[in-house]
Amino acid sequence: MIRIAAVGDVHIDRDVLGRFRPALEELPDRADVLLLAGDLTRHGTEAEAKCVATEFGGLGVPVIAVLGNHDHHCDEVPGVLSTLTDAGITVLEGDSTVVDIDGVRLGVAGVKGFGGGFAGRCASEFGEPEMKAFVRTTGTVAERLGAALRDLDCDVRVALTHYAPVPDTLAGEPLEIYPFLGSYLLGQAIDSAPTDLAVHGHAHHGSERGRTPGGVRVRNVAHPVIKQAYSVFNLARDHVSPPTPSGI
Amino acid sequence: MNDYTEAEVQRALAEDLGVAEQGITVVRAGAGLVLCGEVESPHRRDEILRLVHDRFPGIEIAADIGVTRAAAPTEAEELA
Repeated sequence: MIRIAAVGDVHIDRDVLGRFRPALEELPDRADVLLLAGDLTRHGTEAEAKCVATEFGGLGVPVIAVLGNHDHHCDEVPGVLSTLTDAGITVLEGDSTVVDIDGVRLGVAGVKGFGGGFAGRCASEFGEPEMKAFVRTTGTVAERLGAALRDLDCDVRVALTHYAPVPDTLAGEPLEIYPFLGSYLLGQAIDSAPTDLAVHGHAHHGSERGRTPGGVRVRNVAHPVIKQAYSVFNLARDHVSPPTPSGI
Repeated sequence: MNDYTEAEVQRALAEDLGVAEQGITVVRAGAGLVLCGEVESPHRRDEILRLVHDRFPGIEIAADIGVTRAAAPTEAEELA
């Protein structure tokens, strides 16, 4: 069994330091890896990233993250990234990582993602340059997510985003803001590979469970949604693809 | 308070660097506003109320803002 812990939207700053730590100390007994689904900081400062490193560093299990929109707000992304990386946190943006868990290779591909809305009610790459740039941004990151997922050589494949890939996990949010919460292009990218699980955050008033049109389980792990330090998803051994016999 | 106050409060909560909260619902109720949602610390709840009182003096504010629990999970979800 592979045990995946995940949380997003923790918005760490000095005033939050230590709140997650007691639960995180127990995490290695409950999970093999921790995924952070973006909005790690409050406004994306390097000082806040240091607080994230203090809270989520040195856990004893691999920690894999994507950034969220809050982590971009103060335009200090390079400093945020280096601070997190120095603390041993793997930050993905259009790439992937593979973790060996008792001989089973867990592959995680991640992007922050972006908005645009969902099939039939979405923005189009049409009109003003600002509108085309908005939609093109989502298209580009979705293509990178799809490529990263398809290129993974692993036994269990997980997609990690901040923005939502399906509307199911937005239930509870006002319909008017769905286009700012995610895009169907992310779901299409997830469905372009044999993905086992997709995890996202961003939608604080959303709901936990959904599915892509291709049947991939989607979980919204935004902290205000899960109302606990992290959720844990157990992928049963029989769900894991059998390893390809070598030498045949 | 006028027809645009809710929008102004919502934007102030998101755009003020001392608050930066996008998850607070602002609803007009009678002559006042009700603020609902969850934040990561009691300090942030206090900052939200301080900002609204300072920027929008005279408006009656009812706050129903909780601090999100951060305990370890009691069970895992089995994904067969």
